[in-house]
Amino acid sequence: MSEELTYEQALEKLDEKLKLLEDGDLSLEDALKAVDQARIYLKVCTDRLEVARKKIEIRAEPESTES
Amino acid sequence: MLRPEEAQRPFTVTELANEIKRELRPLTALLVKGEVSGMKRGAKGHYGFAIKDGQSLINGFLYADDARRVTTLPEDGQVFVFRGRVDFWPQYGTVRFVVDQIEFDDVGKLRARLEELKRRLEAEGAFAAGRKRRLPFLPRAVALLTSPTGAVIHDLQETIWERYPNMGVVVYPVQVQGAAAPMSVARALRRCNQEQLADVIVLARGGGSFEELYAFNTELVARAILESRLPVVTALGHTSDRTVADLVGDAECRTPTEAGARVVPKKSDLLLQLHERGRRLDREITQRVARAADRLMNKKQRLVLLLPALVRQRVERLARAATELGRLSPLAQVARREEALRDRGRRLNSAAATRLARSRNELAKRRAADRLDRALTERFGAALQGLEHRRQRLVALSPDGVLSRGYSITQDAESGAVLRSSAETAANRRVQIRLGAGRVGARVDEVES
Repeated sequence: MSEELTYEQALEKLDEKLKLLEDGDLSLEDALKAVDQARIYLKVCTDRLEVARKKIEIRAEPESTES
Repeated sequence: MLRPEEAQRPFTVTELANEIKRELRPLTALLVKGEVSGMKRGAKGHYGFAIKDGQSLINGFLYADDARRVTTLPEDGQVFVFRGRVDFWPQYGTVRFVVDQIEFDDVGKLRARLEELKRRLEAEGAFAAGRKRRLPFLPRAVALLTSPTGAVIHDLQETIWERYPNMGVVVYPVQVQGAAAPMSVARALRRCNQEQLADVIVLARGGGSFEELYAFNTELVARAILESRLPVVTALGHTSDRTVADLVGDAECRTPTEAGARVVPKKSDLLLQLHERGRRLDREITQRVARAADRLMNKKQRLVLLLPALVRQRVERLARAATELGRLSPLAQVARREEALRDRGRRLNSAAATRLARSRNELAKRRAADRLDRALTERFGAALQGLEHRRQRLVALSPDGVLSRGYSITQDAESGAVLRSSAETAANRRVQIRLGAGRVGARVDEVES
């Protein structure tokens, strides 16, 4: 489920769970479940931050017939 | 300089051509204004066209290198101000005006055309805020469309990596100025969308005059931006008016640095955010578990308080039940009956013993001493009488009586057998003869039958 999430989507999900935990009247069991899921989203977010690779790539224009 | 008097021999054509070229050399960095016609593009990327003013005509020539640099290409029917030099082509015998810079003759007219384009695009809704694409929150990589030679690449890269050290940057080098710029920019925009190496496009150049920014006011570039699926951020410098590209782009920045900050979030901020959320999660779960543990402890304490009372009640009930049960149990009943029986037995025994003892006592009292004596005397008398009687009988039956009357009894000395016939002994056998008083031992002399 977390594979396709972008950073922003995962963050949104994380915030949903947090709100649920902070406002909601969850049972302890549900709260633990929510925390587990929130942790997954937290990890997705953290992972997403590291996914990009520092590099600069030059995509030169293909040889044009004009010059 | 040729002087007729020095002409001692005729020039060759080449010498004359060279002479003409030399003569034309001062005609350099000239500005010529004229209308263009017969615009043609040569095989090597150069352009040929005629520049005229109604009376005269001169052939214009634009080398490929210069064609890439100029702000705009000549257009048939348009009046331009050309800068260049006059040159002579010896092999064709023609004079050409070699152009290195082209400017619109009437900027006002150009602006009018631009305003017309803007109106058209606006009518289409191309500038509408609702049409703008949202910039990604965190792009995988940033595409940068700019001149490969400018400082823009460096500035943008520096900004991006300062904010986000591992962000990828994909540079699409484009011509940002000159006649070929619109096509170059439009092509690069299409490639960005095809290759999908980045999630957002930054279209940048380091500022410039109205003419230098000509490409970003063309419909070609405007259309390419509108067609892009990836959001486009413009950063075309802070010295000019807003270009059409700025108007149709999804976000407008003045400098590459500003654009870098716009398209890439600060990684440290994100990490801080995530850290803060992690802390909230920890706090939330810690509190929840603590609350649950408290509730549990509370219940436990109540239980501990309640327990003794509960147990006492039960113990008491149990004790009562046990007593009840004991009372009702058949075993207990039997035991109780046995005990009762034993009790009666004991009482009976003791009563009997008492009575016996009493009887004995009474008996003993009744047996007076005289009675005892009389009984004894009676019994002794009887016994004595019996005894005498038996003595008399014994005397009567005893052989001793017979013997006293002169009879004797002979017995074999060895066997003791009473001899009743002579045959019962033999000569020389010893015999014993019992007399009325005393005994005699003898030996048989002879036996007669």
